[in-house]
Parts: sequence; structure tokens; C-alpha cells
Amino acid sequence: MGKSLTFKIAWRNLWRHKGKSLVIGIILLFGSVLMTVGNGMISGAEHGLSENIVNMFTGDIVIVSAEQEKDNVLFDYSGKPLKVIKNYEAAKKVLETENAIQNFLPATAGAVYVLSGADMYPIYLLGVDIETYQKIFPGSIRVTEGRMLRPQEKGILITGEARKQAYDFMNIWLLPEGEELNKKKLPEDVLDGLKDLDTRRDLVFIGASTSNSTLDIRVPVTGIVDFKALNKIWGNYCLVDIESFREAHNYVTGADVNVKISAAEKELLENDELDQFFSSGSVVEKTAISQESISIQDIQAQTKKQTNQYSVDAGSYNIAFVKLKQGASQQKTLRNLNETFKKNQLNVRAIGWKDSVGSIGSMAATIKVALNIFIIFIFFVAIIVIMNTLSMAALERITEIGMMRAIGAQKGFLRKMFVYETGLLSFFFGGLGIIVGIVIIYMLKSANITTTNEFLQLVYGGDKLNPIYTAGDFLLGVVELGIVTILSVLYPLRVVAKIAPLDAISRD
Amino acid sequence: MNVIEVKGVTKDYPLGKTTVHALRGVDLTVEEGAFMSIIGPSGSGKTTLLNIIGCIDTPTSGSVKVHGDEITELEDKKITDLRLHKIGFIFQTFNLIPVLNVRENVEFPLLLMKKHSKGEITARAEKLITEVGLMEYIEHKPAELSGGQRQRVAIARALVSNPDIVLADEPTANLDSETSESILELMRELNEKEKTTFIFSTHDPEVLKYAKNIVKIRDGHILGQG
Ligand SMILES: Nc1ncnc2c1ncn2[C@@H]1O[C@H](COP(=O)(O)OP(=O)(O)OP(=O)(O)O)[C@@H](O)[C@H]1O
Ligand SMILES: [Mg+2]
Repeated sequence: MGKSLTFKIAWRNLWRHKGKSLVIGIILLFGSVLMTVGNGMISGAEHGLSENIVNMFTGDIVIVSAEQEKDNVLFDYSGKPLKVIKNYEAAKKVLETENAIQNFLPATAGAVYVLSGADMYPIYLLGVDIETYQKIFPGSIRVTEGRMLRPQEKGILITGEARKQAYDFMNIWLLPEGEELNKKKLPEDVLDGLKDLDTRRDLVFIGASTSNSTLDIRVPVTGIVDFKALNKIWGNYCLVDIESFREAHNYVTGADVNVKISAAEKELLENDELDQFFSSGSVVEKTAISQESISIQDIQAQTKKQTNQYSVDAGSYNIAFVKLKQGASQQKTLRNLNETFKKNQLNVRAIGWKDSVGSIGSMAATIKVALNIFIIFIFFVAIIVIMNTLSMAALERITEIGMMRAIGAQKGFLRKMFVYETGLLSFFFGGLGIIVGIVIIYMLKSANITTTNEFLQLVYGGDKLNPIYTAGDFLLGVVELGIVTILSVLYPLRVVAKIAPLDAISRD
Repeated sequence: MNVIEVKGVTKDYPLGKTTVHALRGVDLTVEEGAFMSIIGPSGSGKTTLLNIIGCIDTPTSGSVKVHGDEITELEDKKITDLRLHKIGFIFQTFNLIPVLNVRENVEFPLLLMKKHSKGEITARAEKLITEVGLMEYIEHKPAELSGGQRQRVAIARALVSNPDIVLADEPTANLDSETSESILELMRELNEKEKTTFIFSTHDPEVLKYAKNIVKIRDGHILGQG
């Protein structure tokens, strides 16, 4: 066994003091199992969150107007609407010719105010062509009540989350068109206030622009939906047909273009800050903010529009979600796109999906921090217990250590002996813990654990618990184990160094 | 030539509000090759004196010279080195490292010194183990030895590094009289063969017949050296 005298003594001491070794070892084992699984969960959550966000919501790359200054375009709660992409047709050509791109979804994203009597409250809408949406983000939403929006149909899909908000803000329970109130489906708190409960099957909302150039629009609720996972995050966004969104913001609609408006007019309409051009009034007739302002005729007129044949793409977009082909490099494509956009002076820019959801990234970071705090807590407990056990071990061997000092062993020799003892335990038990942790991670992975609990979904990074273990996690684990070992041995080392040769002679 | 020169050494231990004067001004010189016994009743200061000579305790005042070097003001590292190279210890009990066998225990000081070759270390250790008569137990751990055998191992270890002086505080106190005698005989034999200076304490007058020099101590005073 080993050439080093210190190592030999340390190794044999571990066997001689089996009980203590086992206590410390088991703590290290459990600690490193928890740490490994925890790190795997964190990595899994991060990875899952990425996958889910990319596959359910943003795609790999997000295209916005170059006038859009901040990257955080989807979860910027400042309420400022996104700038309209002015030459979408040209940008579309670029997206179509870029090899790495699989497909893309042009859309309108932003807040609207839901009107209710004299009150209003904001909700976030994603205006899309439902067919394209389902093609690009298949399975990302599921209808829980009512039905899916039909192609070209005017309507809104309310998320469970938004339904709750409507109830909280306006005491209104939203129902899909043509559906009767089913008490069985009501949550308990809503059921309690059933007597005063107001139901509604449509929403009236107005674009949340700072300008006056918005219209109030009545849109029927076609269905109540849930996102496949992470409703706590995505639930803030309801899906609406893109033309309704455009109308609410007074963007150019596909139908408008069908009517043929001049380029100059279009330019004007696409400008959010119309008031800067017109000192008083506006080209568009201001509409009073009230429910009554929309007459039956209006709605009929709108429904008529719906039946007209027109190209949705002719209208305005303020965002486009781009999905890349399998294995394509996001970074490289981003660079290519932005170069091409710039070269052709298209006044649009491409953002990586992560940047586009700024605050959500930080939500993931919060979860990560929470899990890390948990791991640090385990560390802390482990360090305290190991520290105590080691210090006790040092004091129990006080005569032996004093004797070694008396016959000429330096403090450093004994410190080294203790470091070896702890290091060996750390290596074997900690190593074993990492292996056990990896096994548990793979077991958890293959157990296919899914959850509908919204908080757990944040921890899982999606609806499925899918921890992953990477080389980075292994490295992190080794470093963490090293830190635990060093921190827990520091105090005992001081105890050891204080043992004097005189302690070899027990006087009692 | 004097190996040890002790001059005016006192040692006080604070004990509650009072002070115990364990040594009250001790002068002592030890010549090279001495086989000296310090004798005195319990509490007279034998252990205290030996600890100070062996550099594992420091005097309250006075001077202690080992081979002409004043040791009372040395830092811990140097004193430890001094203990390793110049002094051999035989304690009453707890002499050996439990996880090492006889050979390894005896080799221990030489390994700490890091200046001998593996061959030298083995040869030197085996020579001393032979001299203390434990060759057949060479692979045994301390727990597998009798009290007398353990003291023999301690003697071999104390001598293995060729120290200037070997200190033994009541080395036979825990042994029966027959074993005690054989241990003392062995020490005396090695004192002659290896020319090593021995100082050991005892309160047993029976032991005195082995001593070449006797120092009497009482209440922290040396009564006579001869
Ligand atoms: N650490 C200490 N604290 C307080 N008093 C001490 C301490 N060590 C020794 N003494 C006192 O110093 C005196 C001398 O003690 P010492 O151990 O040197 O005596 P001794 O001659 O070796 O006795 P024994 O034959 O019983 O071993 C005693 O009165 C003892 O009580
Ligand atoms: Mg004593």
C-alpha cells in the first residue's frame, strides 16, 4: 500500500476508526447523491425550459423591427407595443432563402386592454394565423373547453391563466361561444361566488398603444386552452386571430390591403405614434372606450370581412418566430440573418430566443438559484457534521497525536494525515455518491414522471421530469465535493495543530 | 562533554488562585554516555523535569542547553526537529502508533527524517528490533503485543535514530517486576553498546541498582547528584 508514510497511516486510520469513517462517509455519500441529482435537475430544468420555450413559443430565433431597441420583446411588461416590421415581404424572402431555417411564423405580439364597463385591465395577446401556428408549434396548446380557432376565423383562445385573471379583475367567468356554464368545471372559489357570477362569451379589448390610434374590438371566445406546460409563464399570452389584433392596434390588416390602400396611407397607419404627425385628431375616427360603441352592425361587418379572400401576409406584423432545421447553429444563423438584413437595409433584426424572453430567463435563473441554495444548504449541514466528527476524532486521538508530535512529527505531517483521511473518504464515498446520483438521474429519466402542477413544471423545466447529467455537472460535482472536503477539514486541522507533545502524557 | 545543561530552571503551574511550584530552581548536568536515574516521591517534579529536558515542555524560567544549544527560545518547528534528531522518548504508556506494525513503528523516526535510504532504514530498524529481541514479532501490531514487548519496541524506536539522549519517564511503572528488570537490563545494555545517554525517572528504589548516576529530587529541588 502506497509509498507515502502519511498516506499509509491515514488509510489505516480510516479502517481502525471504522465507525467515524462510516459516519463521515455516509454524510458525504448522501450529500453527493443529493448534489448530483440536484445538479442533474438544474441542468434538466434548464434544458427542458429551453426546449419548451423553443418548441412551444419562440422558436430558435425571433425577428423584430430594427427600431425595437431592447432584446426582451416578449416579456417586457413596460406595456410599450412592439414596433411594426415595415418591410415584412422583403424580410420574408430572406427567411425563405436561409438554408438553416425550417419554417417561421409571422405574428403580432403585445398587450391589449380588456374593457369592462369603465374598467380595463391588460392581457397579452399573440396574433397568429392559427394554421401556421399549429404547424410550427405542434401540440403546444390543447383545448380544455370549447374548440380550436378555425383558419381565418375571428376569435380568441383564452388560457386558463387569463380566465382566472378575468375573474379576479372583473368577476367575469369567460366561456367559449355556445357553451353553457358547467358547474362541475368551475374551480371551488368561483363556485362559492356563483350567485353574483357574470359569464361572458366574448372580450372587448383595445390596443395598448400610447397613441389614440387604437380601436376597441369585440372578439368571441372560441375556446379555453392550456399550453402543454409552463402555463405560469405562457398563460399570460392568449392566442387571437391576427386580424383582430391588427384592428385593435389599427395596424394594416390583410383585409385593408385587399381594399387597396395607398403606400403613403399604409406608411401612416403603420406608425404607432400617429399623434406626432397630427396635432389634433387623427386619420382614424376615435372610438369611445365603451362597450356600446360596437354595434351589431360592426360585428356583422367584421364577420363579412372574414369571408373575404385576402392574404394575411399583406397586413402588418411586429414579430416573427423562426424555427431552425435540426442541428443548425443558432449563433451562425443569427449572424447570417442580421448581416443580410443589414446589407439589404431591411430595418429588421434577429434575436436569439433566450434574449427575447429576458425576464423568463431570469425566472429560470431564480429556480436555479433556489435549487442551488438547497444544495448549498446540504453542503452546509454536511460541512458542520463532518467538521464536528473530525474534530472529535482528533481529540479522541490526542495522546496518539501528542506522542507523534513528541517523537518528532511536525504539525504539517499531522495536518497532512488528516487531510488524507478526509480526502480518501471524500474520494470513495463522494465518488460513490456521484455514481449513485447518476444512476438515480437515469432512473428518474426513464420513469417518465410528468406533472400538471404549475410550480413543479417550473422546477422540471416542463411537464416532464427530465434531469440530465453533463460533463460540466460532473466537473461541478467534483469541485463541490472538493470544497466540502476543504471547508470541513479546516477547523479540525486547527484542532490537530493545537495538540501539543505534552498531550502525549495523559495526566488525570 | 555535557549533553544536557540545566540551570536555575523553575516551573510554575497556576492552579486556581494559587500556584504550584513544580520545579524551584533546578541545576543539572548530564554527561555523554550517562545512565542516570531521577528518583523522588510522587509529585516531586520528575516528570516535569524530564519533559523540560525533552523539549516537550518549557520552563517558567532558567536555561536548558542540549549539546550547548539553548532550547528555551526555539520556535516549534525547530524544537520538533530537535526532538526528532537528538532525543528519544520512552513513555509509560501509549508509545506506539496503533496502525503501524513493529517494524513500521521503529522505522517511523527515520522516515520522518527523510535523509536515509530505504535500505539503511530497514537495516537500522532490524538491527534494533533484533537487539530488543522482537524479530519474530516484527509484523505484529502494538495491540498484538504484551506491555513489556511494547516497551521494547518503544526502546528500539527511541534508539533507532541514534539520538544524543533517551528520556524515559517511569518506563517500567506499568510492568511486573520481572519484566521491569529485563527492560532495565536491556536499556543498560544498549547504553553500553550504542553509547547512548539515558535518563529515566522512577520512584522505585529497586530500580536504582541499574543506574550509573542517581539524582534525587524532592519538592522541586534536586537534593543531590551522584
Ligand atoms: N499541568 C499541571 N497543572 C497543575 N499542576 C501540575 C501540572 N503538572 C504537574 N503539576 C504539579 O507539579 C508537581 C510535580 O508534578 P510531576 O508530575 O512532575 O511529579 P512526579 O514527580 O512526576 O510525580 P509522579 O511520581 O506521581 O509521576 C505536582 O505537584 C503536580 O501536581
Ligand atoms: Mg511523573
